[in-house]
Amino acid sequence: MNDNRLFKILVTLAIAGLVIGSWGVISVLIWGKKVTALGSYVPWGLWVAVYLFFLGLTAGAFLITILTYVFRVKIFAPIGPLSAFTVLVALTCEVIIISFDLGHLFRVYRLLISPGFTSMIFWMIVFTNAMLVIYLLECFYLLRENLIQWAQEEERPGRKIYQFLSFGKTSFSDADRVADHRQVRLLSIISLPVGLIFYGVNGAIFAILLNRPIWNGALTPLLFIVTALLSGGALITFLTYVFKIDDELVHYLGHVVRFLLVVFLFLELLQFFVGYNTGVIMNRTSLDIIAFGSYWWVFWIFHVVLGSAIPLYLLAVHHQSTKAVAWACFLIMITFIAVRLNFVIPDQAVYKLEGLEATFFHWRLRTDQYFPNLNEWLVSLWVFSLGLLAFLLGSRWLPVISAGKGEEEHV
Amino acid sequence: MATALTDLPQQDPLIRMQRDLKRASQKKPEDIRWGMVIDLARCIGCHACTLGCVAENKLPPGVVYRVVLEEEVGHYPMVRRRFVPRPCVHCQNPPCTKVCPVTATWKNEQGAVIIDYNRCIGCRYCLVACPYAARTSDFGEWYTDNTPDLPGKLVGRKTAGNDYELHPAAEYGMKWPDRNGGSPVGNARKCHFCLHRLKVGMLPACVTSCVGRATFFGDRTDPDSLLFELLGSPRIFRLKEELGTQPSVYYLK
Repeated sequence: MNDNRLFKILVTLAIAGLVIGSWGVISVLIWGKKVTALGSYVPWGLWVAVYLFFLGLTAGAFLITILTYVFRVKIFAPIGPLSAFTVLVALTCEVIIISFDLGHLFRVYRLLISPGFTSMIFWMIVFTNAMLVIYLLECFYLLRENLIQWAQEEERPGRKIYQFLSFGKTSFSDADRVADHRQVRLLSIISLPVGLIFYGVNGAIFAILLNRPIWNGALTPLLFIVTALLSGGALITFLTYVFKIDDELVHYLGHVVRFLLVVFLFLELLQFFVGYNTGVIMNRTSLDIIAFGSYWWVFWIFHVVLGSAIPLYLLAVHHQSTKAVAWACFLIMITFIAVRLNFVIPDQAVYKLEGLEATFFHWRLRTDQYFPNLNEWLVSLWVFSLGLLAFLLGSRWLPVISAGKGEEEHV
Repeated sequence: MATALTDLPQQDPLIRMQRDLKRASQKKPEDIRWGMVIDLARCIGCHACTLGCVAENKLPPGVVYRVVLEEEVGHYPMVRRRFVPRPCVHCQNPPCTKVCPVTATWKNEQGAVIIDYNRCIGCRYCLVACPYAARTSDFGEWYTDNTPDLPGKLVGRKTAGNDYELHPAAEYGMKWPDRNGGSPVGNARKCHFCLHRLKVGMLPACVTSCVGRATFFGDRTDPDSLLFELLGSPRIFRLKEELGTQPSVYYLK
């Protein structure tokens, strides 16, 4: 990011978000889930949606690293290091937000002592950690050459940090470069099945559940992969534009995003078509909640208009303009939280038994009363701000952009 | 008149169920399969079972193990109300246990689906996995929240709490003393067939509190038990049978 002023504004915003959001974080740490609007019939809310949002952001970058280092598509090489770093930041945010959702966070060690091998959440945690380790190592090998170089520059601020990150290595030979790229390729090859299973498992968490009108079905894991690639692809395209890496690459990525958006909208249309035509009341009710319920505007305004129609128009009609492509991707990316909310909540908002809505009144035993409260928004803001700050500082103080220059020669 | 008198029940079904329970207690635990039958024709919709359960397990606000579903059937003037008590149906093929990432919930050897409160991490996956909405999460609510406390001048929060909320719940034969963040706060919670009562020879609270004597409980494998007898009724059915969960709670139409 060359624009120093924009950088400072974004850092200030991130710090402000962290400060404001810390009230929600402290509240949740002290009083637990009592300070949320969650209930027993809608037990997964905003934080799970934000988790899925971050999951999506990792996928585009995952795709880029796979194309670059496994399939050797050279055009993506300049954004390889940036993509790997983006995966790392988004995965970390994902882990943090979902940790807040646990009723007993400090019992996570139980996953090691008494693992539930039949649970999709267990495998989700295993593969999240595997992805974290893979991308941490990949980032290290991609950045090492530049880190060593920076560590040797007398004038460079924060030199000691680079010396620490270089693990004492002071020179970098051609043989090292070849060896590091071999490691990157190996890690990327490993990340291909690991990543696909990771996204599939996240879809399967929902898909395997009985009696869930929107979630239950073989389409869900596929939809997860497509939505993840779409939102993640949009993020990477936007970043490629912001960091002024390569205009041609923005155009190229814009075409990919347009294709993914069309595929996603087609799958979504199928979901509505099949859901409405099954005649099953539960399915129709869930879809009605999305399209005509109290939060219809989340679907129509945020998702359909801002997140789909306008970006599709920009990507189809103004695809020659990098600015238009970047705007389209930015809109897709930020409105994707609406897609995630509409996936997570309406399915739970249908009473699973007739008569449940009229018995034993307590607001935590109602499906129509869930709307994320201030604490949930604050915690989400805190995690977003943390991610933004980590990304900004990383992109400024780590060689994620400079490491990509000339990278195509090594792919 | 004489005929009508002989048609009356000879003894309270509770006495027979108590006898059945005594017989079951002499069996090896692994040979018992607990089950429940709820006769919808006898349920009067008084919700006494719900409250009996709440009181027995010291359930906080927003946590309920056994609700009575109320449905209106038909159109005016041909309308009637139907009441369907719904505890955890203790599936023999439970979808909620296999999704637990830390194996904190399982079907025990007697067929009751239970939770280890000290192992549960509170991810609430089992809540979304249960097709009967039979699990609730304990969010740490108090009935006495916002109640002022002025010792000596007001019967305030502490005094009120001493009579109910600060009493230890006896679930799973343990004492769960405080509600200040430790288990079961933050956990998934559900009906456990009052295992702690069964252990000392008492029927579940919902059975003994049922005014219409609509809830029957016992060992499904005991051919002499009242439960076994009722399971042979042509009126028998189970909730959402099509899902293949095979509940241990049966209903009589």
